[in-house]
Amino acid sequence: MSESKPEDIRIGVFVCHCGLNIAGVVNVKEVVEYARTLPNVVFAIDNRYTCSDPGQEEIKKAIKDYNLNRVVVAACSPRMHEFTFRRCVAETGLNPYLFEMANIREHCSWAHPSHPKEATEKAKELVKMAVAKARLLAPLEPIKVPVTPTALVIGGGISGINAALDLAEMGFKVYLLEKKESIGGHMAQLDKTFPTLDCSICIEGPKMVDVARHPNIEIISFADLVKVEGYIGNFRVVIRRNPRYVLEDKCTGCGECSAVCPIEYPNDWDMNLGVRKAISVPFPQAVPLVYRINRDYCIECYKCVDACGPRQAIDFDQKPEEIELKVGAIIVATGYDIYLPEEGNLYGYGKYSNVITSLEFERLILAAGPTGGHVVRASDGKRPRVVAFIQCVGSRDVNKYPYCSNFCCMYTLKHTIQLKEHYGDDVEVYVFYMDMRSHFKGYEEFYQRAREMGVNFIRGRVSKIEEDPKTKNLIIHAEDTLLGEPIELEAEMVVLATAAIPAKGSEEIARILNITRGADGFFMESHPKLKPLDTPVDGIFLAGACQGPKDIPYSVAQGCGAAARAATILSKPSVTIEPIVSVVDPEKCRNTKVKCGICAMKCPYGAIKAEPGMPAQVIAAMCHGCGTCVAECPADAITQMHFTDAQILAQIDAALEKNPEGKILGICCNWCAYAGADLAGTSRFEYPPNIRIVKVMCSGRVDRDFILYAFKKGAGMVLVGACHPYDCHYIDGNLKMRVRMDALAKALEKLGLTPDRFRVEYVSAAEGVKFAQIVKEMAAKLEEIGRDRILAENEKLRPHLERMLSKRR
Amino acid sequence: MPVKLVKIEDASSLLLERIMYTKRYTLSLDRGRCVGCKLCEAACPKEAIKIVKPSDFKDIEEPPKRITVTVLEDKCNFCGICSEICIFGAFKQNINGEEHIPVLESESFPKIIHEVEVEESKCPVGCKICEEACPLNLIEVSFDEANSKVKVDVDKEHCPGCRICEFKCPYNAIHTRKIISGTIRVDNALCPEGCRECVDACPIPGVLFISNDGKVNVNDLFCVYCGACANVCPVEGAIEIKRVSFHHAPVKSGAWNKALERLTSTLNMAKELRSKSAQRTYDSVRRLQLGGRVKK
Repeated sequence: MSESKPEDIRIGVFVCHCGLNIAGVVNVKEVVEYARTLPNVVFAIDNRYTCSDPGQEEIKKAIKDYNLNRVVVAACSPRMHEFTFRRCVAETGLNPYLFEMANIREHCSWAHPSHPKEATEKAKELVKMAVAKARLLAPLEPIKVPVTPTALVIGGGISGINAALDLAEMGFKVYLLEKKESIGGHMAQLDKTFPTLDCSICIEGPKMVDVARHPNIEIISFADLVKVEGYIGNFRVVIRRNPRYVLEDKCTGCGECSAVCPIEYPNDWDMNLGVRKAISVPFPQAVPLVYRINRDYCIECYKCVDACGPRQAIDFDQKPEEIELKVGAIIVATGYDIYLPEEGNLYGYGKYSNVITSLEFERLILAAGPTGGHVVRASDGKRPRVVAFIQCVGSRDVNKYPYCSNFCCMYTLKHTIQLKEHYGDDVEVYVFYMDMRSHFKGYEEFYQRAREMGVNFIRGRVSKIEEDPKTKNLIIHAEDTLLGEPIELEAEMVVLATAAIPAKGSEEIARILNITRGADGFFMESHPKLKPLDTPVDGIFLAGACQGPKDIPYSVAQGCGAAARAATILSKPSVTIEPIVSVVDPEKCRNTKVKCGICAMKCPYGAIKAEPGMPAQVIAAMCHGCGTCVAECPADAITQMHFTDAQILAQIDAALEKNPEGKILGICCNWCAYAGADLAGTSRFEYPPNIRIVKVMCSGRVDRDFILYAFKKGAGMVLVGACHPYDCHYIDGNLKMRVRMDALAKALEKLGLTPDRFRVEYVSAAEGVKFAQIVKEMAAKLEEIGRDRILAENEKLRPHLERMLSKRR
Repeated sequence: MPVKLVKIEDASSLLLERIMYTKRYTLSLDRGRCVGCKLCEAACPKEAIKIVKPSDFKDIEEPPKRITVTVLEDKCNFCGICSEICIFGAFKQNINGEEHIPVLESESFPKIIHEVEVEESKCPVGCKICEEACPLNLIEVSFDEANSKVKVDVDKEHCPGCRICEFKCPYNAIHTRKIISGTIRVDNALCPEGCRECVDACPIPGVLFISNDGKVNVNDLFCVYCGACANVCPVEGAIEIKRVSFHHAPVKSGAWNKALERLTSTLNMAKELRSKSAQRTYDSVRRLQLGGRVKK
């Protein structure tokens, strides 16, 4: 990457009319004329549609004819056509990263139609900024990394099972990691499934067996994820197998050991309604069918050893074992947990014996369950004649879990229908609900069926439940909101439809994999609409309820979808990574002398290694190119390719060359604020034309020096635009920027800067209105403060700014 | 469903319950019968039993007056070993309301044999010597005067096997066997002046007594080797109890071997294993002889 000497640089500028979209407001000819006057510009021309085939041909021809080595296109947003033009440039043999765009449509002609003169001026300056950056561009080579064609699926529920099976069928080796003793997940705990009422384990069991038999799948059960290192195509995974004290390869699953074991303990797989032996499997259909000794309860009588006899499958000396895997892609399918409202005894749960949760009800009505399928009360073992179901326990509750848990309405309908099917008119069934949500195929008909069977639906939230100390019946106090009256109902059993919550250990998984969780604690997808299965970490995908509560068909579909996403990586021998990564200058890095490591700490992806005494090192394949480390580095030892300090400062220079005190300098992140500004233009929300926007990939890249430099140059106002706090496309680069900028704002205010002159704003890609509004407010403020005061302030600030900036060079 | 663990204790009893939807486990301790020996603590495989002194009970209303035991609810797994090993029968374990000791059924722990046999035909009508002799009031003698028959009911479950009744019986009608065999030795040179803690703690009168010179003496004939005396003795090494073996039904169980090791000693445990293996060898040789494959 040898930099061309200034005199070698030959820039071509192509200004697009975009029909009348640009030319209707901006005087394109004037812009072209202006471009020709800029240093190093050897060629400038206008096209009607630069992106069209003739337009692209013109670029290619000019590159050849004029021996151009940099290309600037002034047209629409780079978010629209940067890729098109890079490809066009590359076709001529020029490096595609020697191309730069000036956004004179969304950010100019569309945003300032009533001020053609100012818009033309702005277009000229945008071209000047692009040319200034182009002058400093360096050729970059895309990074290619090899791919290990194996996958890791974390979580063996119905989603993970389907992901594993699909990948295995495509011919990839799959490791299916399960924390518990058996795969199957929650679905294996259920009696029937809605709305078809087919037996859950009867349809899942064969799939579980398929997984066990598949030659391409290796189940690693009763094991924990310990560590994941590496990057797309090349993950190194460390897993700890917990000791079962029964050897997997020797256990035949006969169960003779369990028959002789004297010790019983509560079976959590049965929601602790029933018991299991100290050596046992959680349920008969467990896969793998390998017994396990729970040493917390075992008394070591060794009766099981005798029973096992010559098979010698029992090994009391087994130790936890760490294994290491190499995989190319990871699918996270860790599912959910059920909220148990023990704390505070919500609705008497845990205090009154006849208040149970829906999952416990599921185990009661299951023929293979601890009561043999008889729905009986814990207090007296008798069958309840009045059963009340309470919906949204914990869910849709701002004090607990504000979201809707998705499947509770449907499983309650299933339970009511099952009760009615089992006991007919001999049981009265009530459902207290807020809204019945029965979307998706066949669900509404299912709801109708429950109503026809005589289930009573009462719309209203239950305020409290009391227990009759004699009968242990439950008195429910609620309001029927349809009648507008308080009601009281005596039920013999109460079933709580409790919330689905993030699985225990999600936080640790998120930390190990470096993926994000939303405010609700479920894992965050890369994009809610277009990348629902991707995580911000390339090569790691999500499936099923770990991303949010989902029913079975949805989870299955996601499992298959995630398998397909993973296959896009695994099916290729190598993957290409954009080369806009960070690079450390080992000469400047102070980690060699002092314990620094700030970059490694701040990197949202753990892509930087800072070993003591060694210069920090960026693992290019793991770097996502946000530039946060660059802005954080106290020694300015890190450079982000394609977004170097010099390039950005050159853009600022160009933007503020003329009339700086009358201008607003904006630094916006590519994904949200810059896109929001695009939307303002697309929507034709007009705003004052005195803003100049510099694009960075992430607001995390915004160095303090950029702000200081802009004010030193005399900028009237500075705006930093970022994604909303939990929307950052680089996990939390925006939050790190915020901390940095808040500190800087205080310092600048102390030095005498009017606080309104420096703003940090969160603007999403959907907030065109908000962007326009912010610029309007800032322009009005600029007017209000007045040119003289700004000039005076800048004069006073300049020595301080120069002193602060002198530290860098 | 949260598993409900209930623990209720006072001076006279301890009740520990694990209540589940389909099962209810109950372990109860009759503190009137608990002598504060350490047999259950030593036998418990989960270290769920703790010796407690009256001073350890600060938060209950009527604390026990003497040394006893308590069960830690988070460690107990309701195996029933404590219930079987207690020679005084102070523990009871129920499952769903019925007395049930799971470890006996699976032969993970041996049935401890409380052996008291009475040949009632030898008993003359009117004799109640054994009833009066039993220090724990476990014998009840009744007469059918018309047929001149005598009935002697012995509560064997609670009998630690001191053998006093056998020795007191003038008609040689009672045959007993000690549950625990072993030795007890008191080094009365170490006894503090005026101390009689051990004498008061001993459940069998006459085993420990203070002689005229004020020293503690021991009559090991009736000693049950429970160890209650040693637990209260303020001086280390003054009382030494060595248990050798237990009278029990034969079992093959790691849990029993470990319990036996803690209750007696490694050597004695090894001895039992050796005798068991000798028995096994003998049995198999017998089988071969009966099959005619080895000449006698």
